[in-house]
Parts: sequence; structure tokens; C-alpha cells
Amino acid sequence: MDDVPTRSQSPLPSAAGPLTLSKEPLLPAAPAPLPPTIVTLPLAFTGQPGEFFRIWIVNVLLSVVTLGIYSPWARVRTRQYFYGHTWLDGHAFEYTAQPIALLRGFLLVGGLFVVYSLSQRFEEYQWISYVLAGIFFVTYPWLVYRSLKFNAANTVYRGLSFRFHGGVRAAYVAYFLLLLTVPFTLGLTYPLAVWFQRRYLLENAAYGTARTRWGKDVGPVYLTFLIALGIGIVVVCTLGFLIFGGIALLGVSGGLSGVFQRADSDGAANLQTYVLLGLAAAGYVLMILVYTALWQYIRAALLKYSLQDLYVGDTLRLQATFNPVQLAWIGVSNLLAQIVTLGLLTPWAEVRRTRYLLGGVQVQTIAGLGDFQADANASESALGEAAHEFFNFDLGF
Amino acid sequence: MEASGFLVFSASYFDGLTSRDRRAEVSVQGTDLVISSETLEARYPLSAVGIEPPLGRQRRVLKLPGGARLETDALEAVAALEQRLGRNVGLTRVQRLEARWPIALASLVGLLICGALFVLYGLPAVARLAAAITPPGIMTTLDAETVRAIDGRYLKPTTLSAETQARISAEFRQMALKRGGPYRFRLLFRDGGELVGANAFALPGGSVFLTDELVRLAHDDREILGVLAHEIGHVEHRHAMQQIYQGLGLTLAFSVVAGDVTSAASVAAAIPALLLNSGYSRGAETQADDDAGRWLMQTYGTTAPLQAILKRLIEQDGPETHNRVLDMLASHPGEAQRLTHLRAIEAAGKSSK
Repeated sequence: MDDVPTRSQSPLPSAAGPLTLSKEPLLPAAPAPLPPTIVTLPLAFTGQPGEFFRIWIVNVLLSVVTLGIYSPWARVRTRQYFYGHTWLDGHAFEYTAQPIALLRGFLLVGGLFVVYSLSQRFEEYQWISYVLAGIFFVTYPWLVYRSLKFNAANTVYRGLSFRFHGGVRAAYVAYFLLLLTVPFTLGLTYPLAVWFQRRYLLENAAYGTARTRWGKDVGPVYLTFLIALGIGIVVVCTLGFLIFGGIALLGVSGGLSGVFQRADSDGAANLQTYVLLGLAAAGYVLMILVYTALWQYIRAALLKYSLQDLYVGDTLRLQATFNPVQLAWIGVSNLLAQIVTLGLLTPWAEVRRTRYLLGGVQVQTIAGLGDFQADANASESALGEAAHEFFNFDLGF
Repeated sequence: MEASGFLVFSASYFDGLTSRDRRAEVSVQGTDLVISSETLEARYPLSAVGIEPPLGRQRRVLKLPGGARLETDALEAVAALEQRLGRNVGLTRVQRLEARWPIALASLVGLLICGALFVLYGLPAVARLAAAITPPGIMTTLDAETVRAIDGRYLKPTTLSAETQARISAEFRQMALKRGGPYRFRLLFRDGGELVGANAFALPGGSVFLTDELVRLAHDDREILGVLAHEIGHVEHRHAMQQIYQGLGLTLAFSVVAGDVTSAASVAAAIPALLLNSGYSRGAETQADDDAGRWLMQTYGTTAPLQAILKRLIEQDGPETHNRVLDMLASHPGEAQRLTHLRAIEAAGKSSK
């Protein structure tokens, strides 16, 4: 039983640094414990944009050709690619969901969605769409709960699967009750809801029998939103000042010195209109960019806050060293690249983001990673997962 | 039976109870998978061993009964085993597709072709079917809403005399009655103004708009009735409904691809504009002309009135007609073909007599 873990047998393909441990396995016979040696193990992502592009485009084509029937397979293969290229301590993660299990959920949810969009069109049948929307809103926390359970159970590392122990009631608090209060508090309770959602996930996950512990305050979540809001106000004011200044300047110069005056005054007026319209359009695009950038920043900062000092069992904790601003920049530039290439750079963007993100996450442990114990397994319904994917909700993970 | 293993490879063995990995030698002996490590000797029938489908150059996973698993970089060995057992045939092919750049680029081209085929053939076919099975009640509701939207935005009250209206209405009613069908045909007189001009157009439920300008452009009522017969043809073939479904399908398809579902909902509000701004296909125009031509032949023995007003419309609108907001009659390329078609109907009608 006591074979020493041989770290070199499954070499990490990319140069993520030497992974050999200097740790001696703790002997059960030694009662006086030595001061524990902390070992830091990096996470690394080894996916290649070109390779993933080929997988992605073939998957998209197959999904289209099969009228969407293949999309669960596409979904699973995408996940498997990202999990399988995520390495920790010489082993990769694994995504084990069965596409056929996803297919049923996909078909059900897809059918409901078609009914929903069709009934939206016609006044007589619009009540159907309201009923469906209501059902969705009410069952959403349950779907999240199913989805978390399903995804955890289908994530495997070193032959052990993750588990999610959260309950339905807590899901309804985090994803229903608190969200209901958001409009009535002018959004003040939104960070609280976000914090509840994070806590629900991070206090209830488990690797084998090792439970995760998070124990973080809500304060920094509010701080993150406040910082983003502050930056947003400053940027918007500056932009507004520049644009209005520009308009005023144009108005003056156009009227007095005739900068834009041509032979006919109609042409001048036209030109001025075009310049003003151009400025307005530029301002609009800039606003969208600022908005996107701020959301990316909030996401990144909250992700770092979530991962930093997340404990798994008694021996392991996570460390996040990536820079939220850098991650937000990657998010924004990814989005621009995707828009400009009509989505063709999506695989590149995903690989780029994942590589940076996982490159900035480490595991600190005082015991070997081979000491985790399995929990009793149970299969999870795929329905929650399918709904989650279909409506493309982002839980931030 | 093979005496020695035909496949031998090394793997990491996980027992499914702990996260401990063990280096193991794996071999296939006959119909069994044999695993041996320093602390373990195990033998499983191959039929009970699961093989996870291949993906890229990723390491392979074998699932053993009882939750244990093997992870290995011996891709060739696992692929050979897979082939021998006939497992993962489909996804192995997919993996081969995914491995090649030419295939990836061909997929890209294929996607574009699929998109084009969908827009050109798939969507119209589905839209035609959906239009055919849409209950008349829905179309009546749609009519009422669209009339409200158009009246506010594009059209003014008519300035035609009451007699003229009554006369044309009576003739229209007579024509509509003969046609029958589940539609509630009604004629609405409006001033088209600068924006709409001389025009006539039909809504899905049977409401037909006729502008004062068109009435003035016509030399006699037969011309107007020819145009109205054309519009009734559009209604009976449910071209407007088809048009709506096509627009919705496009938006829906686009929002699924682009991942934006909310924008699809806002299209509902845009239906009237959709109806007005996009003309019918040339096929739909020909079909409506067929109807109008046949009616004209039956009633007057000639298609000349429709030809005459069509020519006048084209002359009046000139080549810039494509920019007009409402021009169901003249906006489409191939006016010359339409005239030829009407003449052909006339010739065929005369010769069959």
C-alpha cells in the first residue's frame, strides 16, 4: 500500500517547472510531527489554439449538419479538451459527462425554448410565453443546483470525482430570494447575492471526502463593485467631457471661422452633421467598451477573491496570483477579436484566457495529492446541466 | 487463443477509492485486460472495460469495473485495442477529422454553404409550411395590429370621394366573394403621401391597402381591380405569413449562433416594419400575377389593364424605386419578366378558347 508516489511517471508535457516534491510522506508511526513542509504546485493549461480550433470548427459543423443533435457531443468534447489539458502535479483533469445524457435535456429545453419564442410572437398565445418564463424563473435555482451537482460529479482528477453537497433551499436563497430584492434596493443587494452564490458553491464542493472551505466576507465583494463603479463614473465623465467639448468646439468653429464651410453652405452643414454623428457613434461604442471592461474586471477580481485561500480538506489550499486587470484586458481584447473575425477567433480567445488564468493559480499542500479518499458515488441527472448550457448562464466559473 | 499479450503498455492505475496513482503494466491477453503493478495483479474481461473516446493527442482513459481507471499516453496501443473491440467508431472518425487542417478549413467552407442553403432553401420551405398551418384567427389579429402601426407612421386618411370608394369597394367585395377562403378581405383607402406613393399591399389576414395615388394613376377601374387581384393572390398564398416566418427564423438562427436570445424577442415588435420593408420573392410575385392574370382573363378576357398600370408604375417610379419604403408592386427586379409573363397568360388564355 505504501508505495511512494513517483512523480515522474506521467510527465507534464509543457515546461511548467519541476514538479518533484521534496516532501517525505508522513509516517503514521512517528507521533511527533515535523513542522509541515509546504509544497507549491502550479496549475498549467497546455491546450493549443490551432488544435482547439480544428476541434471547435468540426464540432460546429457537425452540430449544424445534424440540426443540433450533435451539440451535446460538441459540448462534452470541448469540456474534455479544456479539462484534459489542465494539469496539476503530473495529472490532468477529466470531464466524464455522457453526451447521450445531455441530449435528452437539450431536446426538452430546446423544445420549450421554441414554444416560448413562437408564443411570444402572437398576442393570443403570449400567455404561454409568460407561463414558461415564470416556470423558468421559479425553477432556475433548482436548475443551478442540479447543474452544480452534475458538473462536480463529472469532474475527475486522479481517479476521484468531485462532489457538490449544497442543498436546494440555499440555492433558492442565493438565486431567487436575493435576486428578487435587487430591483427594490436599486441593486444594492446584488453584490450580496453574488457573495451568497459564491459561498453556496465554494463551501459545498468536495474532492472525494475532502470538503472545501471558503469563509470569506461579503465586504470585498462590495468593494470590487464600488471600485468598478468608481472607475466607470470617472471614465464616463471624462469621455462625456471630451465629446461634448468636441461638439461645442465644432459648433463654434463651424459657425464662426468656417472651418467646415465649403462653397455651398449645405455641404458644410452636411459635413458637420456627419462629424457630429461620427462623434456620437464613437462615444456610444466607447461606452459599450467601458461597460464590458468593467464587467470583465468585476468577474476577474471576484474570481481571484474566490480562488485565493480556498481550502480543500485539511492539507490543501489554492492560491491565485493572476492579475485581475490583466485578465479583464484579455477578456475585452478577446471579445474585440471575436467580433472582428465574426467568431472565428473564439477558440484562440478561450485558450488564451484559460492559459493565463490557470497559469496564475497554484496549489499549496502539506501532504501528497495521493492521499484523498473517495466519497460514495451517485449519478446526477443531466437535465440541470443541459438547461444551464442552453441558456448560456454564466456562473463565473 | 493468444498465449502472450498482443498489446503491452504502461499506465497510471487509480483504484477509485483514493487519489493515489500506481504505475502499472497493462497487457491484453486473449479476451482479458491484465494489470500488474508492484502491489496489484488484476484481470478484467475486455467486455467490461470502458474506453473513453479519443480527443486530440490527449492521454487515454480506460474505465474498469468498480470505479478503478487507467490513464495512459500509449495512444497507439489504446487505438489498436479500440479498433479490435469496435468501440468508439464514430468519435474516432470525428477525432481524425479534428486532427487535420484541410478538414478544418473545409468545415469552415461547409458551414458557409450550410448557412447559404439554410437561408435559400431550408428556411423558405419551413416558413411555407408554417404559413400554411397558421390559423386564420392569428392572421386577423396580426392584421389589426399592423394596420394600427402603419397608419400612425406611413399613411394618411384618404381624400378620395365617397362615391369612388364605394364603387371600388363594391367591385372588390364581389371579386373577394368569388374567391372565398377563410380570409376576411377588406379594402382600406389611404393617402400614401411622399413616402408610399402609388401603391397597394395586402396583410396576411386579408386587409388590402390601396393608396389614393394609385387610384389616380389608374385610367379605369379594371386596372385597379387587376392590382387588387394580385394582392388577393398574395393573401391566398400566404406570402406575407411566409415572409414573417422567414424573418423570424433568420433572427432566431442568428441569435442562436450569436448566443443572444433577448434580441430575438424584440423582433416581435418589428413585425409590421418587417412586413413592409421586405418585398416578396420573385416567385411569390409570379404566383400572385398568375392569380391576377387568370382572374382578369375570366372577367375581361385580357390581362392588359394590369400590364398597363404596371408599366405606368415603373415609368413613374423610375430606376430609384428600390429605395422606397413601400413598393410591393414595383420594387423587384424583373418587371420586364412580369410583363412578359402577363402577356403569356393572355396568349395562353386566348389560344385555349
